[in-house]
Amino acid sequence: MDTQWETYEVFHQSKRGDPHEHVGSVHAPDPQMALQLARDQFARRMKCVSLWVVRTRDITATDYQDESFFAQVVDKGYRDPKAFEAPDKLEHS
Amino acid sequence: MTHLIPTGVSSETLEKFILSLADDELILGHRDSEWTGYAPILEEDIAFSNIAQDEIGHSLVWLTLYQELTGVDPDSLVFRRPWKDFTCCRFVEYPKGDFGYTVLRQYLFDIAEQVRLESLLKSSFEPFVQIAQRLMKEESYHRLHAETLLERLGNATPESSRRMQAAADLAFPQSLGIFETMASENELIAGGVFKGNPGLEDDWLRIVRPSLAAVDLKVPVVSDDGMLKVTCAPENGGRAGRHTDHLRTLVDDLQKVYGLAPEAKW
Repeated sequence: MDTQWETYEVFHQSKRGDPHEHVGSVHAPDPQMALQLARDQFARRMKCVSLWVVRTRDITATDYQDESFFAQVVDKGYRDPKAFEAPDKLEHS
Repeated sequence: MTHLIPTGVSSETLEKFILSLADDELILGHRDSEWTGYAPILEEDIAFSNIAQDEIGHSLVWLTLYQELTGVDPDSLVFRRPWKDFTCCRFVEYPKGDFGYTVLRQYLFDIAEQVRLESLLKSSFEPFVQIAQRLMKEESYHRLHAETLLERLGNATPESSRRMQAAADLAFPQSLGIFETMASENELIAGGVFKGNPGLEDDWLRIVRPSLAAVDLKVPVVSDDGMLKVTCAPENGGRAGRHTDHLRTLVDDLQKVYGLAPEAKW
């Protein structure tokens, strides 16, 4: 019998308003314990205001083998915003 | 730093009380740290290592207050004190045992700590109020962790029920020793320092009894006209320096490296 608990993916938010970022996974028997274990693995040293956990099997993902899924046949570089600068942060005085 | 000691309370009684709080945390923290590398799953291994660090950190908080009152530094108390001079309860001295025992011990201790800190929030001794406010934040997570495991292991499978009940049979009489009445405790009660161990034990029973019953774990407590009565003998002795031999082994271990070069600066 496989006694290994299933995995949950962990998403960490360091500041309100920031995106939750994927930081890793934990083994847990249920979502509540996954949250608690995620707190110990990922929220003790890094500043954290919110955690999400999602059952790994509930995530629908693309297949690395299926390269055609992302294929771009014609050059559409003209659509990339390369001609102007878009700073991460806008400066203001 | 000078602290105002409440009227009618001797500094010696107060210092002894602080040391017993520090010793409980230090020794239980050490026992928790023994799971590092051995817990049944990696995630719990890390969780128990974290809790161990927290408990030892709490011990340092109490020892620092002790230092402010007496001038004795925490390192000398931890690394140079003879094991018989520790004042922890015997409950925290026992080896980590089965993981079920560890979970139950942590649960029973965390609730005891909760009721103790709640009482100290109303203490007439100002430093206790501030420390209780600080420590309760971390303790509330410890309690959540212990309760979560208790709820899941208490009556999940025949094996978990068997192991948790065996742990309860062993741990419950031991855990009553947390509330062993200390000499001159009445001074602390009369001076408003804390509500006293009999009162804390009653608060504790009112929380742990229903929680254990909810997962079908039996402990020797009866309800008599609304009063909870324990029907087994508590394992006392620790507060008066009558320890188990396990403490000697633990303290030997704890002081071994320091003893190799006591004057070394780290």
